[in-house]
Amino acid sequence: MTQATTQTETKAEGFEPRIVAFVCNWCTYAGADLAGTSRLQYAPHVRIVKLPCTGRIDPLFILKAYEGGADAVLVSGCHPGDCHYTSGNYHARRRWTIFRRLLSLAGVEEGRLFFSWVSAAEGQKFADLINDVTAQVKAAGPFKHNPARRQAW
Amino acid sequence: MKTLEATKLADLAAALTAAGYRVIAPCQRGDQVHLECYQAGKTLRADVIPVNSAKDALFPRSEVIGRYRFEGNEFETVPVAPQAGKTVLLAVRPCDAAALAPLDAVFNWDYKDEFYNAHRDATTVVALACTAADDQCFCTSVGGSPDSTANADAVLRPADGGKRFILESLTDKGQAIAAAGQAVLTEGQAQADPPAQVAPAFDSAAVTAWAKDGFDSPLWKELSLACMGCGACAYTCPTCHCFDIQDEATRREGVRLRNWDACGFGLFTKHAGGHNPRHDQASRWRQRVMHKFAYFPERFEMLACTGCGRCGRLCGNGMSIREVCSQIEQAAQAGVK
Amino acid sequence: MVANINEIQSAAAALLNEGKVKLVLGYRVRGNDRVPAFVTQADQVGCLAYDSACTQNLAAYLRKGEVRSRMPLAVVARPEVMRSLMLLTAESQIAEGQVTVLAVDEQGFHGVLDLAGTAKLLNEQYARIAPDSSLMEQLAKIEAMTPQERSAFWSEQFEPCTRCYACRAACPGCFCERCIVEMNTPQWISTAAESHGNFAWHMIRAFHQAGRCVECGACQDACPQGIPLMLLNHFIAREVEREFDARSGYDPQAEPVIGSWKQDDKQEYIR
Repeated sequence: MTQATTQTETKAEGFEPRIVAFVCNWCTYAGADLAGTSRLQYAPHVRIVKLPCTGRIDPLFILKAYEGGADAVLVSGCHPGDCHYTSGNYHARRRWTIFRRLLSLAGVEEGRLFFSWVSAAEGQKFADLINDVTAQVKAAGPFKHNPARRQAW
Repeated sequence: MKTLEATKLADLAAALTAAGYRVIAPCQRGDQVHLECYQAGKTLRADVIPVNSAKDALFPRSEVIGRYRFEGNEFETVPVAPQAGKTVLLAVRPCDAAALAPLDAVFNWDYKDEFYNAHRDATTVVALACTAADDQCFCTSVGGSPDSTANADAVLRPADGGKRFILESLTDKGQAIAAAGQAVLTEGQAQADPPAQVAPAFDSAAVTAWAKDGFDSPLWKELSLACMGCGACAYTCPTCHCFDIQDEATRREGVRLRNWDACGFGLFTKHAGGHNPRHDQASRWRQRVMHKFAYFPERFEMLACTGCGRCGRLCGNGMSIREVCSQIEQAAQAGVK
Repeated sequence: MVANINEIQSAAAALLNEGKVKLVLGYRVRGNDRVPAFVTQADQVGCLAYDSACTQNLAAYLRKGEVRSRMPLAVVARPEVMRSLMLLTAESQIAEGQVTVLAVDEQGFHGVLDLAGTAKLLNEQYARIAPDSSLMEQLAKIEAMTPQERSAFWSEQFEPCTRCYACRAACPGCFCERCIVEMNTPQWISTAAESHGNFAWHMIRAFHQAGRCVECGACQDACPQGIPLMLLNHFIAREVEREFDARSGYDPQAEPVIGSWKQDDKQEYIR
């Protein structure tokens, strides 16, 4: 990620946000794949990290992304009822509900953390989602008050 | 005689800051008093023993001691010089100043620690003689005294019933402080207040003697029962100096850090294979007491405890050196092995 | 001191004499402080004390090997400590028969109870323990801040943290044998007592308290640096109740809040 970061920062004009997306292997990643094979254009600001299931996405992953300087984080998986492992996304949903509120209290506002359900058939939804998230984060600007940001030693 | 009005301690801190010193002083923070870097607007409190000790300034809780970079398969280390600016420990208690002796000893024992020594050389100690003690103070039980000037470059003595301080410079570094603070100091006469009365809590020689043969004593289990295994006592202790080396790196570069560590943690001695030679809190407490009262005197002919009483003040479970050593002394008197 | 302290002492003596427990975990007076007392002999019960200054949560000792090895034991427990015991039962850390409760509150001693009896008493007498109103006011102030101000506020609060983990040690809910902050391959949370490590630690500590914190206040009392941990804890407890209608420490059979789920859990924020 460091290499990509350096490249974005050297771009002369405008703010190009760094967005980290944690997605599940079975639905959202397949949805992203469909967007690609369907030749849908979407904003190039999202770095996708694929995991087996949203149930595997520890809140620490989200913190780590902010620590590394992400301007926003997106977490996405299978729609309720569609989990490849039956209930991983239900478990994840509970964690998100509390963790996003906690982060909000700590200064990570709503526009810096996004959640969605994107199925393997929803290539268009994925593209729209990425475009919308990117536009929102672009409008919000760099995450200067990021409380989790790794300190410059 | 140089004197300073009691209300002008912050002015002295400001003058020293203006003279280029990083001033570490007892500052009000919420309901507490912390030794931290003075900044304009902070309230100084000479009447309370701060929560943390002065060691933080010489042995920071986290310090970068190395850097490295990766480039493909290439690896490069980057030398790191200690970031030690001119510092004054202003109005630290004699027990904090006393703690510099064990720290100096251990950081210059088999290896001369470049980082500690750089901080130490850049530091001037202005001690504040104690005219009051609380029920946790026990400096007199471990060879200290409330008006000791050991390791101090200058000393502030409360005078005229606490209305002012007398500033005595003891070394060249101390003279420099008097010079830098000249604008807020007055030349005049004052009557130093009597030092605090600190009643002896235990006989440290008896603890050291008992500990010599006490390694296998079943008493440790009873003594340590209330300990929950946090590092609060070690981290606020002016003499505790254990650390852990950690690397923090991205794919491109990294830093090597020296972070505080504490013998009270289970992880402290845990081996990679899972075995832990100090498998319970009793063996960890034994180490804590032995290190301060047996191993340290054996190696350096001094105790690694200065009786500041911080461990007793903060531990809600009553696990203080003072209490544990008193119990050991009683056991020794009763002939308990 | 509560008026009927003698009754606590004689109940403790009876439990020890009858061999029902091997240890009574209580409080004793040390100067101005109250510290834990570990009473193993009936003739030592005279040291047992209780008043509102007894703030430590003694249930935290139930994860310590040296104390567990002395089960069955009795614990002097105020309502928050009773809730911790219910939580530990729900989380399979203790079982009926291992722990006897000497129930107390600021009025005095309320009898010797087993865990089932404790659950009954809690739900009948202490179903609603009102949170500290100043805590709610402070929280409301923080929530009214801008994200930038909130970020700055917490940075300031976490800054003095030395990572001594006294908060973790004092908490009965922190019963993991190995804490996430001790996982070092990889090191998920920086152990450096610096901004990002401190932030990650306090976020994860608070998050792991979801559905566990009984708001006893022991962590904040234990913190040498005066970090207002109860603000985070109360916030988490409030959100857990709002979102999942759950309050920890009342039902010894409760499923963990994080770790269970319902099909109709709210999800208005998920696109």
